[in-house]
Amino acid sequence: MKLMRDVYIAGVGETRFGKHGVDYDVLGREAALQALRGSNIDRPDVIQSAYVGNGMNGIVTGQTVFKDLGMCGRLPIINVESACSSGGMAVYSAIRDVAAGMTDISIGVGCENHSLHMQTGTAFSPAMSDIEGVQGAVMTGKYALRANRYMYETGATIEDLAGITVKNRRHAANNPHAWFRGQITVEEVVNSRMVAYPLTLQQCCGIADGAGAVVVCSADMVKKLGIDKPVRVAGAAVQSGPYHNRPRDITADDITEACAHQLYEESGIGPREVDIVELHDAFTISELLYYESLGLCGKGEGLKFLRDGNATHGGQCVVSPRGGMLSYGHPMGGSGAAQIAACVKQMRGQCDGYQVDPIPRIAMTHVTGGGLSGTEHAACTMHMLVSQW
Amino acid sequence: MSDKKGQKKEEKVDITFFHPDLLGTAADEVAPYPYLKGYRCKRCEQLDFPKPSLCHNCWGEEFDVVPLSTRGRLYSVTDIYIGQAGMQTPYVFGYVDLPENLRIFAQMDGEPGSFKCDDEVELTIGTIRHNRQGLPIKSYKFRKVWE
Repeated sequence: MKLMRDVYIAGVGETRFGKHGVDYDVLGREAALQALRGSNIDRPDVIQSAYVGNGMNGIVTGQTVFKDLGMCGRLPIINVESACSSGGMAVYSAIRDVAAGMTDISIGVGCENHSLHMQTGTAFSPAMSDIEGVQGAVMTGKYALRANRYMYETGATIEDLAGITVKNRRHAANNPHAWFRGQITVEEVVNSRMVAYPLTLQQCCGIADGAGAVVVCSADMVKKLGIDKPVRVAGAAVQSGPYHNRPRDITADDITEACAHQLYEESGIGPREVDIVELHDAFTISELLYYESLGLCGKGEGLKFLRDGNATHGGQCVVSPRGGMLSYGHPMGGSGAAQIAACVKQMRGQCDGYQVDPIPRIAMTHVTGGGLSGTEHAACTMHMLVSQW
Repeated sequence: MSDKKGQKKEEKVDITFFHPDLLGTAADEVAPYPYLKGYRCKRCEQLDFPKPSLCHNCWGEEFDVVPLSTRGRLYSVTDIYIGQAGMQTPYVFGYVDLPENLRIFAQMDGEPGSFKCDDEVELTIGTIRHNRQGLPIKSYKFRKVWE
């Protein structure tokens, strides 16, 4: 979207990710309160609009989050659902309000609890009204199709894919918000339980619970609130997935390419300038494909990019510095907002034990998803963030 | 009468899903074998599967039904070990590219591990899942061409 005026991130919040005995609204509230307090807000009547992303937990999720903060009745609360893109889209919507001058300060929250709501031992699937859903499609399997084709065409191996989990878990080793962290070997990843060939359990993001929140505001409000380290939103883009029913290359990702192109155009920042990226690493193969789709490297160069150490500390761009979804797990509604929160903390140098060095100045986030036949995904949301101090 | 009707319903185990919009059988007398139904727009001649509500190219609303090729190339395939709720694992699905420049997502009829990219496959009919009563739901699948 074309930002009609500058928008800044004032404060962010994220919960610990993993299995929680409390529901999405408690998690959303925890993240929101962190973001609000981090924005030097100590009253319920400052925020002018709120967007809450949630995939599957029910109705009026946003109002349920904010009721107990005394905020209901003071502002419009709008609920946002686009499967795995929900949380990112909620933040996007908050940015749009401020950019258009409709508000001076807004909040985007993403929250989800899967463990209290989902049958264990099953995989996410498209709706039963979907032609692929009826045939037994599951998201793990749709990415496995991409992995098999990628391996067939490039000669990549399961061990190569496993290297992504190993890298991301290492990034998360000292991140208290991550669910799975620390040492894991390629052998352990490859020998874990088969989910959808060639994707083993440790190559799939955990079905987690968690939340993230982001307060965005105008330049005036940055001053009023006394924000030390405002992060400027250099670009925000949302795309819907093009429909195809004809042969095409699924080792590429048209929706990500389109969304990234728009983001680079609008922000004036290219992919090779980005210091850190949190992308949609729901599966090992996804991170590999997105290196290429995002233009971090050329088409067909993803594996080399990984092997050469370009996606980790000291490389061209640290991909998944928080540990990504492969370490956090992926609560459908929560991830998009939590990615932005994690990037802002990196840019502010607040990631003790997992801080990227030198402190990153340009960060990018990417969440894409939603099983819809004929599309790679239904929705993709991306943000470009720049430190402004 | 109603008893008899009920009994007849219970005996009927062949539930063909999405029939007749997707899958034609020899009984249709269009082709002497089961076939997937392509839809050719009468206005712009674009050929689609599955049937669109209206032509994505020109918004034409009338279509000719065209039997699609029963053989195609398996673009990619995977064996599913953790599946949809209610589905028995393992099962196999993939994308089949037909000569009409159409890609079909379908389950494969065959053992896990027995398919690979670019295999030649052909249309068959088989059980794709079970309904809540445990009865098989039959629809199109693809199997390996051995000859």
